[in-house]
Amino acid sequence: MTNVLRPEEGTRGQVAMVFDLNKCMGCQTCSVACKVLWTREEGEQHQWWMTVNTQPGSGTPKDWESMGGGVERGGNPLPGHQPSRAEFGGGWNFNYQEVFYGGKGSSVHLRPEETGDGTTKWGMNWDEDQGGGEWPNAYYFYLPRLCNHCTRPVCAEACPTGAMYKRREDGIVLRDEDVCMGSRFCMEACPYKKIYFNYARNVAQHCIFCFPRLERGVAPTCARQCPGRLAFVGMLEDQEGPIHRLVHEWGVALPLHGEYGTGPNIFYVPPLSPYRLHEDMTIDYETPRIPPSYLESLFGPNVHSALAILKREMDTVREGGTSEILDTLIVYKWQSLFGPFTVDPGELDGKAVPVALTTKPT
Amino acid sequence: MTIHAVRTAAGATDLPATEWAAAQAAQLSLTPVPLEAQPNAYIKTAWADRAYGTVPEVRVAAACDDGQLHVQLEWEDPAAEEGEFPDAAAVFFPFDENAPAHTIGADGHPVTLWYWRSTASEAQVVEASGPGVFRPVAATGASSVGVAAALSGGRWSVAFTGPVSSLEPARKLGVVVWNGSNEERAGLGAVTAEWVPVELPD
Repeated sequence: MTNVLRPEEGTRGQVAMVFDLNKCMGCQTCSVACKVLWTREEGEQHQWWMTVNTQPGSGTPKDWESMGGGVERGGNPLPGHQPSRAEFGGGWNFNYQEVFYGGKGSSVHLRPEETGDGTTKWGMNWDEDQGGGEWPNAYYFYLPRLCNHCTRPVCAEACPTGAMYKRREDGIVLRDEDVCMGSRFCMEACPYKKIYFNYARNVAQHCIFCFPRLERGVAPTCARQCPGRLAFVGMLEDQEGPIHRLVHEWGVALPLHGEYGTGPNIFYVPPLSPYRLHEDMTIDYETPRIPPSYLESLFGPNVHSALAILKREMDTVREGGTSEILDTLIVYKWQSLFGPFTVDPGELDGKAVPVALTTKPT
Repeated sequence: MTIHAVRTAAGATDLPATEWAAAQAAQLSLTPVPLEAQPNAYIKTAWADRAYGTVPEVRVAAACDDGQLHVQLEWEDPAAEEGEFPDAAAVFFPFDENAPAHTIGADGHPVTLWYWRSTASEAQVVEASGPGVFRPVAATGASSVGVAAALSGGRWSVAFTGPVSSLEPARKLGVVVWNGSNEERAGLGAVTAEWVPVELPD
């Protein structure tokens, strides 16, 4: 379609994010910030463009990693499954009237009202903190997920109407809702299953990388509201910025399921973990509690070198040395997370603030 | 096969069953929109081994007055259960002589669809430049299209009412039907492979 940038055309710049999973505490502030800002309208009750799930787990939508989509090695698109409303779950109404005004005292409790369509059997954070392993070696970590604004947006390629496009100036993948006719091939083609369907308005919807904020120099709300200072935002090409350095220079931030072939632009610093305990409760210093093979299944084979680099840097600091990598990940200055997008939204005067969206104009 | 439109009272918006019965209906065969004409590699790949365009035929009747054209479509719904996708149907008209019917228009040769789906109460006017290459058109006032639909005994009846000018200049139409329970949508419908001439009353 004419709106889809071909790979050889490229974008002038690419916005990207890095999430440091060693700092994510699963508080869902990012999810709620996004929810409050973007998905409060009709047909959006079940939509969470930003989600945080416990890993290992079935995620959002349920078992999304087995739903197909993406690109095969030869470059051809792979068929995928459109997640059903029940597989996303959520969007519940609760029995507030019965509990608070029904005169039934403590004999009733708050619960989602049953709808008969399976949507009360799953939700965006359903398997929270279940994780994997057995005591005393149970383990889990949190994985924030949003649209990856892929370098090769197979969602847009699959759209027959041309409603979807990748923005030339910053690589954000967007949809013209006035053109979308609800055919949902985008939902099938997306291997990350981060596109929702608005049944009330017959349009698909997904994370817009807070583009109206970016255009005024304000970071996306998920990143700005994060209390853990773990979400970096910036242009991937900015060689002085933390994202380029973490991803390309230091190799400690990795894409999620890079094997899906779409070139995701959200990256993750993989989680370190405590060592396993022997049966006699002594420490097994050879074996991390999170199986490296599991992390490799998420972040690819480079996860081992990324973790080794992080450990090496920690050792250096423990021995009295300094580490630029750790200093970057610690984020001593909050604003250093946001690249060129440091404007305080509370100080906007209603006018657009010009901001350099790329350091490498072409 | 020609559709003979009957004359009806001016200003009618919802024809009674007796008038539809009086209209000379045509039973039209439908065929799947060709896979090779689908608009992108994803759809061609995902549907290469899946049957679509599963509604084999549609009954079409037409009536008109000086300003309005009424087109009624009736077909057997092979599966009544509703899934993620709605049943849908459209009647469409060419802008020019070279617009193909079997692909619902083509690039540079668009057609106008009067489009209905079972989950919407109103019809949409859509410009199509190929299978699924659809773009909604703002249609208000005299250019707007109404629709009345009913499912009875496993048979859909969908009656469109829109400007008779849509039929000009070619005086021919095509029909496409989507079986929602088979996840048919966009270009994955059953279509009249050839244009069907429409004869207007004197």
